[in-house]
This record gives sequence, C-alpha cells and structure tokens, in this order.
Amino acid sequence: MANKQTVLIVEDESNIASFITTILTANGYAVLTAQTGSTAMMLISSHSPDIIILDLGLPDMDGQNIIKSVRSWSQVPIIVLSARTQEREKVNVLDMGADDYITKPFGTSELLARVRTALRHASRVGTNEGLGQCGKFVSGDLTVDFDKRHAFVAGKDIHLTQNEYKLVALLAQYAGRVLTYDFLIKKLWGPNAPNDNQILRVNMANIRRKLEANPAEPKYIFTEIGVGYRMVEGD
Amino acid sequence: MNKRKILSPEKMFPLSWRDTIISFFIFLGTLLVCFIVRTLNEDKTCLSMFFILGVFLISRYTNGYFYGTIASFLSIIFVNYYFTYPYYCFNFTITGYPLAIGCMLVVSIITSAMTTQIKSQHALSLAAELEKTRSNLLRAMSHDLRTPLTSILGACSAISENHDALTKEEKLKLLSEISEEAQWLIRMVENLLIVTKIDSESGSAQIHKSPEAVEEIVSEAVQKSKKRFPEQNVTVTVPQELLIVPMDAMLIEQVIINLLENAFLHSQTATSIVLSVTKVAGFAVFEVSDNGKGIDKELLPHIFEGSISRNDSSEGADRRSMGIGLSLCNSIITAHGGTMTARNKLMGGAVFRFTLPLEEH
Repeated sequence: MANKQTVLIVEDESNIASFITTILTANGYAVLTAQTGSTAMMLISSHSPDIIILDLGLPDMDGQNIIKSVRSWSQVPIIVLSARTQEREKVNVLDMGADDYITKPFGTSELLARVRTALRHASRVGTNEGLGQCGKFVSGDLTVDFDKRHAFVAGKDIHLTQNEYKLVALLAQYAGRVLTYDFLIKKLWGPNAPNDNQILRVNMANIRRKLEANPAEPKYIFTEIGVGYRMVEGD
Repeated sequence: MNKRKILSPEKMFPLSWRDTIISFFIFLGTLLVCFIVRTLNEDKTCLSMFFILGVFLISRYTNGYFYGTIASFLSIIFVNYYFTYPYYCFNFTITGYPLAIGCMLVVSIITSAMTTQIKSQHALSLAAELEKTRSNLLRAMSHDLRTPLTSILGACSAISENHDALTKEEKLKLLSEISEEAQWLIRMVENLLIVTKIDSESGSAQIHKSPEAVEEIVSEAVQKSKKRFPEQNVTVTVPQELLIVPMDAMLIEQVIINLLENAFLHSQTATSIVLSVTKVAGFAVFEVSDNGKGIDKELLPHIFEGSISRNDSSEGADRRSMGIGLSLCNSIITAHGGTMTARNKLMGGAVFRFTLPLEEH
C-alpha cells in the first residue's frame, strides 16, 4: 500500500506496545509508539497520526489530559485502553471525547475491528459532517431505513415508537461504537434532561423485545454495563 | 461502632452522640422507676439499688469509662437530693456516704473495663478469623497460580528452544495451551480484585448498588463468557417483563460468569447449559443448570466454603479455582441480601441458583 494509515500507540508497557505494533503492522498500518505523555503530544502534533490508541496509566501524565488537549484542536479518533479496575474512567473518557475503548485483555480481531470502525467514522465525519442519517443501515436481518424512518427485521416493519426509532437510528449511525447513557439521553431528551438512566433502560428493553429474537441473547444491540449501548457493525 | 484498638486515652473516654443518648435514656428510666417506687412505697433502701443497676447498664452499653463514671456521680447526687432523708437538699455527712460513692464508682469502672475488654476481644477474634481466611486464600492461590505459570513457561521454552524441530501443528498446540492458561490466570485475577472489594472493611462487602436491568447484566455476562469459551452451548431465558434489580452490576456479572464457567469446566460431560431468570415473590431468581456429571455428594455441603481447590488439588487441574470462585459468588450474593444454593438434579447435572431481592430493604 502506498499510503498507509498511521496509528500512534501510547503505552508505557513495552510488551503490550510491542504486540499491538506487531498486529497492526501485519495488517497494513504504519505504527508510531510513545511511552510517555509528553512524547505522545509531540508525535501527535508533528506526525498527525490517523488514529491514537491510548493507555490511561502513563508515567508522566494522566491519559485524560491528553484527550482533553488533543480534542481542543483535533478530531483524530482516540481509542482508550482500559483495565478492568477503571470502570468509572471509561465513561469519563468517552464523554471527554474519546471515540471508543477496549478493555484489557483483548484479542487481535477485537482490536482491529475497533480501529477500523473508528477510522471509518472519522472519514465519514470529514466528508458530510452532521448529515450522516440518510440511506440505510443493514446488519444481518436488521435494516434501519433513515429516509423512511422505520426499522425492519427480516423485511417486516417492527413498529418502533418515535423515541425508540431515534435511539435505534443513533446507534445505527454510530454502529460499532459505544454510545454512553449521557450522550443518548442528551440527544433524545435535550441537554437539560435529568441524567436518569431508568427511562433509557425501559426504552431499550422495549426495543430489544421488538428487535431481538431473544432479549437475553441480543444480536444487534449490546449493553456495555455502566457505560452505554453499542450497535453491531453494519454489513 | 467498631472499636478495634486496645485502650488509649481517647478510647478510655470517647464521646459520641450515640452513647450520650443511650446514657441519657437509661438514666431517665432509672429516675422514673425510682419516683414511681417512691410514691408507691415508703421503703427507700431499694432505691439506690436501682441506681446501681442504671450505672451498670450505662457502663455496659457505652464505650469507655466516661459515661459510667458520670452516671455514678449523678446517681450519688440524685439519691442524696431526692431519695434520702432529708429530701430536696444535699447532705453528704450521713455515715457511710463515702463508702456508697466508692461502691458506685467501683461498679461503674469494673463494668466499663469488662465491656471494653469484651469488645476488643470480639474485634480481635473477628480480625483473627479474617486473617485466617485470607491466609488460606493466599495459600490456595499461590498453588493455583504456580501451575499455569509453570506450563506457560514450559510451553514458551519448548517453542523457543526447539523452534526448528517442532512441526507447525505442535507449535500451534503449545500456543493454544499458553493462551488457555493465560485466560485462566486473568479470570483468577479478576476474582481476586473482587475479593479485595469484598473483604476491605472487616468482612463486610463494599458494594455499590444501583438499579440495573437484569436482562442487560445477563446478556453481557453470557457474551463475555462466550468470548472466552466459544464452544460453550448456553441457552438463556429472561421474563417478558423488564426486571430492575438493585445490585452492583460488575459483581453480579462476575457471579454469572463464574457460574457459567463452572458449569462448562467442571461438569465435564455437559452438552448444554441453561441460564434462566424468573421472578418469584419479590425476588429475581437466577438458575444455571447443566446436564453434566453433577456435584460430588461429599463436596456438596462444603461447596461454598472456598477450600475445595486446596483439599484435593491432587485431583487435577480441572478442579482448581472452583472453590474460590464459588465461595466468592456466595459472599457477593449474601452481601446483596440474597441466597445461593447448589443441588443435583434427579436426571443428572447440577443446578446453581441464586436470588436477589427486587426491592431495597
């Protein structure tokens, strides 16, 4: 490939950085690595990578500060690597502007899928910012028709209410990415809506019963406990 | 109130609202009884007895010496002023008064000392018990950790030292063993993280409950468990009605993952695992049942005690982690106000069942 996409890995554990590098290089990405926050900041401004994979626990600064300062001047996608003990931080970094997170330990395919998704969303934002919701989203038997504002499973209209449709459409628009409770509530009920997950849960439960064959084994919309919801990648 | 440390000046005379209120009411009660008895009965000899009882109770139910001592002085004053002749004036010249004051004080101090001692002993024995569980756990753990690490290191050196001699299949087999053992280590560490969460405050759990949708927890647990064991055959059913249960989502998810994994790894012959959630009389009831070989009858009564992996570690690798995992599940459920049971089905296979209250109590 003449023009490889560049990934910046910010990770202080050299073994972890090394295996991520191996995976990404083998899959056709150009890789830069930084072991400290200050090196990372330097590389971001000098090399402008296409995507950043960021570990939160860095020796010299909090990873959250990197997200904040990068977001002040760039929309480059950021995927956060999080450990299991950082449950609460996940939501913070997403609301702060990170695009996605991967919980350690993760597999090759998971990592590659997240990188692909983030890159795709980033390129779409570049071309028709703000629009997004036109055409169709298809994954398996599920079709979300953004023009008709209806969702179908195996060709049959599943009759979503207005709010349910809005939720499904949002998730489909950002398919593959986790959307936080906060984000969904603000999008649906406005910026001043109370931060009450309960109403969102009830809506999601209803959607699940219309959309999934078995609500306990969803195929399309997955729950990320304590964080939000994620729609499966489109075909 | 947990008073763990043995006496220091602050511990001898601690002040608290709780103790002040207790002392106040006991003393008030004593006074009331005395006034009632005095109006009914002319005999005054028993009145000072009531005060001794009051002082005793106060010393018993408060911390340190402060309240008992104060109460004994007050008692002397009240007995003198209200209940001994001449009434409604102080007269400390009556014979034997220093002796009475002394008696009251001695009763109060001895009782306070005994109470403090009992409390500190109780705390000590609790701490010792906790320490014992912890060291048992650590011993079981270090054994359990060494085994997979040995086989990981072994497989790694086998590959790096015989790189050319091994066929591709042999290398892949060794690699898959490495990944299997590493997976197991990760699960172990996740459980350990939870152990630290559960044990941090003198045995009581530090759980942060929030209302969660049962089906979301269940589906995420199943999804994670399937990611680890793709060959696992799990059927899940949840009620049509949305169940919202107050719980610590991460812990309950871990319980479900542990139970699914347990069914998959230990039942040996299980071909299908069923996870079902139902609503029964104010409780959400979770059941994980398999059609495997069931639970050993001898192990069944001790299955939640956390010592299984240690006792018969000789029985082989498939059994390890079971004990710690299950006892952990049990403590998590108990901390949520639910119960956990295990039994064998008549037709073969094991059923693990736990309940969670739907309402906060």
